Amino acid sequence: MDPKYKVNRLQTTNEIRPLVDKHWADLRTAKERGELVAWASGPSFIFAYAMGMKCHFMAGYAAYCGGIGAGEEVLKVAEMAGDLPETCSYHRLHMGMGEAVARGIPINPQAILPMPDLMVAGRLCPEMSHYAEGLHRRFGVRVLPIDLPAVVDMEDMPRIREFVYRQFKEVVIPTFEEVCGKPFDYDRMSEILSVLKKVATLRNQCWEFFKDKPSRWTLWDYGVSIAPVFYLMGNPAGVTYYEKLLKELQERREKGIPAIAPDGEKYRLYWDGWLPWAFLGKFMRKFIPHGAVVLCGRYPWEFFPHPELIDPEHPVETWADLYYGMESHLVYTFSPKGTVDLIGKLIDDYSLDGLIMFSSKTCRVMNLAQPEVIDVLDKKYGIPGVIVEGDMIDSAMISDAQIETRLQALYEMIDSRRR
Amino acid sequence: MAVVVGVDVGSLCTKTVILDGDGKILSYDIMRSGHYYKGAAKESIENALKSAGLKKGDISYTLGTGYGRGAVAEADAEVTEITCHARGAARLFPEVHTVIDIGGQDSKVIGIGENSRVVNFVMNDKCAAGTGRFLEVMALALSVDISEMGDLFFASKEKVDVSSMCTVFAESEVISLFARGHKKADIAAGIAHAIARRIMGMVGQVGLREKVVMSGGVAKNAGVVRAIEERIETSLLVPYEPQIVGAFGAAIIASERMSTTIG
Repeated sequence: MDPKYKVNRLQTTNEIRPLVDKHWADLRTAKERGELVAWASGPSFIFAYAMGMKCHFMAGYAAYCGGIGAGEEVLKVAEMAGDLPETCSYHRLHMGMGEAVARGIPINPQAILPMPDLMVAGRLCPEMSHYAEGLHRRFGVRVLPIDLPAVVDMEDMPRIREFVYRQFKEVVIPTFEEVCGKPFDYDRMSEILSVLKKVATLRNQCWEFFKDKPSRWTLWDYGVSIAPVFYLMGNPAGVTYYEKLLKELQERREKGIPAIAPDGEKYRLYWDGWLPWAFLGKFMRKFIPHGAVVLCGRYPWEFFPHPELIDPEHPVETWADLYYGMESHLVYTFSPKGTVDLIGKLIDDYSLDGLIMFSSKTCRVMNLAQPEVIDVLDKKYGIPGVIVEGDMIDSAMISDAQIETRLQALYEMIDSRRR
Repeated sequence: MAVVVGVDVGSLCTKTVILDGDGKILSYDIMRSGHYYKGAAKESIENALKSAGLKKGDISYTLGTGYGRGAVAEADAEVTEITCHARGAARLFPEVHTVIDIGGQDSKVIGIGENSRVVNFVMNDKCAAGTGRFLEVMALALSVDISEMGDLFFASKEKVDVSSMCTVFAESEVISLFARGHKKADIAAGIAHAIARRIMGMVGQVGLREKVVMSGGVAKNAGVVRAIEERIETSLLVPYEPQIVGAFGAAIIASERMSTTIG
């Protein structure tokens, strides 16, 4: 008989909400203070921060709306305005917010952002192009599109890295200089990267506690802790946050406290794809009663897993290298080959029992080849995987019973292999 | 007498199987689930007990499965229909490596490895395309009883394509095919081929490994069975009562758990 499992909640993660709330509150009120505002998709907000602009990040906004429970109402406005429900829910979320403001439709005031002076559209997928185009056409937003191509083979990396680097140097930076009316602040970008290096180094130390058996924390705890290594980058509060988190995890190890009571997890799992921002609690309630804990994932691992490669002395070069360098090569994990390499390493490092491949119905970038990836990894490592369909924020794409059955079937497959 | 019970509460039908201590089926029951799953599970168990001449007190262990497995108040435990269909099919046909199950509102393909272990599986998601409910709606659109759909397939003379898999759109397509003068039998065959096409895609994801068992209520439709056989180019093994395979698997697991508990 299984014990009654329960989450041992971390104290430190309670401190992320005020940091995140402040970020979005500052952004909401930026125009009132005469500050310039940028929006960004893809990893381009660092250029806005370097210029002292307040900046939104596409997925960060979706996560925030999910967290404050505003996603549904904003998506409804988008649908009412004619956006197709099958399209990218991040795209719809932004269109819905813009339409709500333009038409005077009341939505959660915390979800309302000022329209930007510049939108840097880092295009990782076709939907991001439509997203930027929609902002320009419907709301008159100035858009700077840049291409961030997927890399299928490592041999392609150097020339694509050069292409991306030149976009940063020849298009992104001059445009920010023009919008802000001042030279680009390379020193500030270096400072931001120095802080990021510290925060990501601490974060990596925290990741080590996922390797403990039983684990000391869950991927969901880390999911809510991503902001300091991403859109809150450069904020020294991120260092304080991760120092505190590290200390709490160390204390847990010393006292033998697992992530889930009474004695830790029964199943150690991997999570593929985006995080379901609006449904983190819903999924947690499907893991914990079964003694399942998710420990690592492809998307959460893309936030600078190699801080040792961050070189603040060469900010623009290092920024390009973090995504497209031969050593860091973050974008390679978007390709099936890169996915298999990464997950294989995670299976070994974190002693995983099974794979959950979260397949977003409105964003297919990470879904490609998921069945084949499961098959390849099962043959190589002998661990099963399931595909769970859903969405990051749109509840219309979430079927509770279907998800429950798939996850429970995964636990049963793991059990049958243990016998 | 110590008996075990498997109850499969599906979205359309609830099925119960009672096994004796030797794993022999003593009785089974199939009834519509209706809107009150808890009541359906209770009633189905009572029906099966009555057929077997048993009392509630004779039950040693009850295992729930299916979409409404959480509603089986009598259950000692619950297991997903994925595992139960695999176990049931493997007991009936030990050489099975793939199960195609098409139930009331979902369809699944399950890959089976050694010791009737589930290796992988795929299920349809939030759409009832190609399921029992889909066939029911199509039968209504064709103005035939659902039990006639299989025979109509074999009476077909002309190939008709039904391209929509959405239940609502397929219904409109059937009506427009009628308007264009196509015969019922040809449309029924087109519907069966449409289901087979969808199942083929799922089989492709799991990987076809013979022998292949088909379970679920739709396996009673010989036309759909034939259409799938044509697609996957192999014969399907269809149990005498394909609708109770999940409940049978649940009862087998119940029996094993009983042995473990006693042992």
